[in-house]
Amino acid sequence: MIDAIYNWIDDRLALSKSGRHLLNKIFPDHWSFMIGEIALYSFIVLLISGVFLTLYFVPSGATVIYHGAYKPLDGTRVSDAYASTINITFAVRGGLFMRQLHHWAANIFVGSIVVHMLRVFFTGAFRRPREANWMIGATLLILAIFNGFLGYSIPDDLVSGTGIRIAFSILESIPFVGTNLAFFLFGGNYPGKDIIPRFFILHVLVLPLIILALLGAHLGMLVKHKHSQFKGRGARNDNVVGSPLWPNYAAKAGGFFFLTTGVTAILAALIQINPIWQYGPYVPYKVSYAVQPDWYMGWLDGALRVMPSWEIHLPGHMIPNVFFPGILLPGVTFTLIYLWPFIESKFITHDYAEHHLLDRPRDNPMRTAIGSAVFAFYFVLFGASSTDVLANYLQVSLNVVLWIFRISCIVVPIIVFPIAYKICLELQQVPEAGKRKRHMIIVRDDQGAYHSVDSEEYPGYIAPELAPVKIEDVDLAPEIEALNTSADRPDEGIYQIPRE
Amino acid sequence: MIEAVKQRIKIHFKALLKYDKAARLVIFALAPIFLVQLFVELPAAASVGAHLGRHHSQTTGQITQTAAAGGARTPQLQEGRTLFDENCSSCHGINAAGSKLAPGLRGLGAGVINLWVSSGWMPLANPGAEPARKPALFNSQQTNAISEYVASLSKGGIPILYPDLKGASVEEGFSIFALNCAPCHTITGAGDALSNGLYAPPLHGLTSTQVAEAVRSGPNNMPVFSTGVISKSQLKDLVAYVTKYIEHPDNPGGLGLGGVGPVAEGFIGLFIGVGLCLLVAFWIGDRTEKEEKEDSHSKGNKKSETGVKHA
Amino acid sequence: MPDATEEYPNLESVPLDAPQFEVAAKNVKRTEYVTFAAFVLGFIGFAAFGAAYTQNAPTYLLGLTIGLGLFFFGFGLVSWGKYLMPQGPFSEPRPLMETTRQEKELLKADFTSRGKVAIKRRSFLVKAMAAAGGVFGIVAAFPLIRSLGPLPKNSLMTTKWRKGSYLTTIYGDRVKPSDVAVGGIVTVFPEDDLGSAISQTILLRVKESGPIVTMPGREDWAPDGFVAYSKVCTHAGCPVGLYEHLEQLLVCPCHQSMFNVKDGAMPVFGPAPRPLPQLPIYIDSDGYFRARAGYDEPIGPGFWTRGGTA
Repeated sequence: MIDAIYNWIDDRLALSKSGRHLLNKIFPDHWSFMIGEIALYSFIVLLISGVFLTLYFVPSGATVIYHGAYKPLDGTRVSDAYASTINITFAVRGGLFMRQLHHWAANIFVGSIVVHMLRVFFTGAFRRPREANWMIGATLLILAIFNGFLGYSIPDDLVSGTGIRIAFSILESIPFVGTNLAFFLFGGNYPGKDIIPRFFILHVLVLPLIILALLGAHLGMLVKHKHSQFKGRGARNDNVVGSPLWPNYAAKAGGFFFLTTGVTAILAALIQINPIWQYGPYVPYKVSYAVQPDWYMGWLDGALRVMPSWEIHLPGHMIPNVFFPGILLPGVTFTLIYLWPFIESKFITHDYAEHHLLDRPRDNPMRTAIGSAVFAFYFVLFGASSTDVLANYLQVSLNVVLWIFRISCIVVPIIVFPIAYKICLELQQVPEAGKRKRHMIIVRDDQGAYHSVDSEEYPGYIAPELAPVKIEDVDLAPEIEALNTSADRPDEGIYQIPRE
Repeated sequence: MIEAVKQRIKIHFKALLKYDKAARLVIFALAPIFLVQLFVELPAAASVGAHLGRHHSQTTGQITQTAAAGGARTPQLQEGRTLFDENCSSCHGINAAGSKLAPGLRGLGAGVINLWVSSGWMPLANPGAEPARKPALFNSQQTNAISEYVASLSKGGIPILYPDLKGASVEEGFSIFALNCAPCHTITGAGDALSNGLYAPPLHGLTSTQVAEAVRSGPNNMPVFSTGVISKSQLKDLVAYVTKYIEHPDNPGGLGLGGVGPVAEGFIGLFIGVGLCLLVAFWIGDRTEKEEKEDSHSKGNKKSETGVKHA
Repeated sequence: MPDATEEYPNLESVPLDAPQFEVAAKNVKRTEYVTFAAFVLGFIGFAAFGAAYTQNAPTYLLGLTIGLGLFFFGFGLVSWGKYLMPQGPFSEPRPLMETTRQEKELLKADFTSRGKVAIKRRSFLVKAMAAAGGVFGIVAAFPLIRSLGPLPKNSLMTTKWRKGSYLTTIYGDRVKPSDVAVGGIVTVFPEDDLGSAISQTILLRVKESGPIVTMPGREDWAPDGFVAYSKVCTHAGCPVGLYEHLEQLLVCPCHQSMFNVKDGAMPVFGPAPRPLPQLPIYIDSDGYFRARAGYDEPIGPGFWTRGGTA
């Protein structure tokens, strides 16, 4: 039966001609190649849980009187968006779980994109021919951050509403176009009634579609270029060494999808995220202390905090304070990220060749040192977004904490740069660095002679190295023979292991 | 527990200061006995001040709910006077008139004294220290006695407040809380850092009396909310919200992470969420880049010799 | 079935009993048991989720059941793929991205000429088409952007505060001096703009009585120990609702800018670049607070067209 269905489809699409090629696609085995997959799987979780949430969410800023399960809000005038989110939380079966799943998946989505990007950066995987894919990845990061912001803004609660207010201020700070832009996007002066439906449609339709399209391009280029890989184990610039898509990688990656989803679901089960019923509805003249954006916006919020109180006054015009940390900093950041592959080949390595074998971070000390210093800078800014919470937690003066961050965001990168550079140089001198050492054991044999032998491998050591097998060269004659002789086993995998 | 020990030492030390030199010598000689007493009493000291409570309980009468003006005529006022003289007067002066160390307390009303003593702010850990929340030194009966005693010294101020929460509207309370309290204490009542080493304390573990008195009197840097800003019925609503929903949030969805919002969530998301996924990837994938062995001198490597060299 | 040797020319190059085809697991039986157990646990988790859902169980039960189900299911799949399948390694060739000069030329020729049907020779058509298309691209953006909202005009420069506006609470009550104790605050609005994001103002009672002169020229702006400032932070627009009455500092909860209340709300710490605008107020003959005039400068954060002076 299955055979018949397969034949019917195959006769119309000729799957057998190209299908083997697809099944044979090789994926490198190193764990660091799976970080991007976390992002991909989180995105799938986001799509599924997001569809669930849109069924109940009402994207409207219109005022309604809330009547429902949450007592402290009963009879309160709130927006439709807020009321429906409260209803998802308290009245829809499984609704709170889906909300928390969606939010945790978003945090993990952006987090894994950042880690994936760090891996790509420090191993030099962005080099020719992958510059364009690096830029698509950077775009995906921007979109993910932006969509995350839109997503946590649309429930219209007190904390996120304050964030929207700050976003308006940042928008109107842009020279020349800022004021108009802010008015167009918000449909008038702050707060405006249009912002919830507009953010909603961007959040659930426009940005996810762009992300999906770019994700397609990202993966399409990956298939075209094939994976980059680390040196060793027979890896060369003109081959890919690892496991084939079918069946090894399909099982591993499929399992990884479920594991990622499982981790997210367990987080969503046990740890509360964005309890908007405690925050209350957004009211423009109310505010809560300890308001922070979600972590991926944290570096921007931190920059807003550490920025000295400067602004530029021009005749008849001004460049407000928030322009520098709110617009200029991310602008410069992402421009640098986009241009890095070209900056590096032009000014640092002078290397324009096609690379499929990856560097280890130590192989290119300048890149590693610059990357570490820049990352340290953003990490300090990220920490600066929680000055008040840190001051409260550590019982240190808030003013002192802020000054520590102001100084650190300049000093820490300056310290990190030479340290990272030096560590790279040192590691280059130690070829065995990072590998397990094996002890030398002296044994005495029956004749009384002494020999030195290596100790046993550490537990879990899998195999001595085998040379890679060219996947097209596999001798399938016995398999095909088996298929011919036993017609009742047509769907056995082609890599079935003969067992005695 | 350490806090409790400190309190005990302080009480004994203060008692010491009261005696003249000769007596002090005797007491220093008897110090080991004090120490023994301290440790014998430690189990009981879990509720600090239990000792004092026992000591004075025979002499106290009924708690009155309003400030009574006048001298120490009732047993409660007498007890309050004794406690005040023993524990407060060294800084605030005899009859609460104030001294170089601390301001006078006349005219503040029983409510303010009750708030400061019941919250453990007073007595201070040492003169000049910032008032910090710690286990209250006195039980509620003693606290009331001190409060009423100080209030009896002069008119004015806020009486001890016992908001009647029956019929209070938590909805209204939530709204008032968001407008007037959340800017400092955060919307979840977690508290946060103010300027220059000042802190808005967390709002957990407060009695309705304390909340009401704090709103009306504005302790430390907290603004004062008089009836023109938060009316009497609104105060009831607010107290109801704080004591019910800040204290016991209707909290589905798991661990609340201290109510500090996205900061804690981000740490969990990054270090536990992404971290666990990375660990999983670490398990699924190969751990280190494998390099071909040039020399296969080790015994266990049988397979490498039979492996097909293809490259 | 055609002859296998024709289909697979590399036949016999790597036999299927090569060590690369052995499974990675050392103890195959045990690994199979573990994998089986994982699938069983996954099954149990999913089934438990179904039961929990039909029983309308709390969030943590819903999440734990499906989470553990997914986790074990994934664990089983990975353990199958990692330990019970050919250990490899395998390799496939990778064509490099570089193309030859001839390939480039051929594609270019195809694109621009395809023999006689030339794009190249009709470049005036290309230019005309590009012009038309370009204009379309620009005008298409007009409705997308311009329809979205009104022009700012003067709306960022003013508030609803006028000469004589009563200072009213959010409940609509006009404020009089006896409403607020020393050290107290109240958020006020003009009567016709209650709850406004723009007009919100914070009224503070700094001392018992007497005017407060926050700056020269503001002698009669703050009577009887009261002073009123815009509640919108000049940094990023958050409501400045945090008041430390002993320090006499207004603090913005968002980015901790601190404003000295007695000094015309001069920023003393944090990123705020300008003082909070002060609302001149007086007490009328009925004893209510009223605005002497509106704000004399735009409230809130800076913007490009705000003007050059502070």
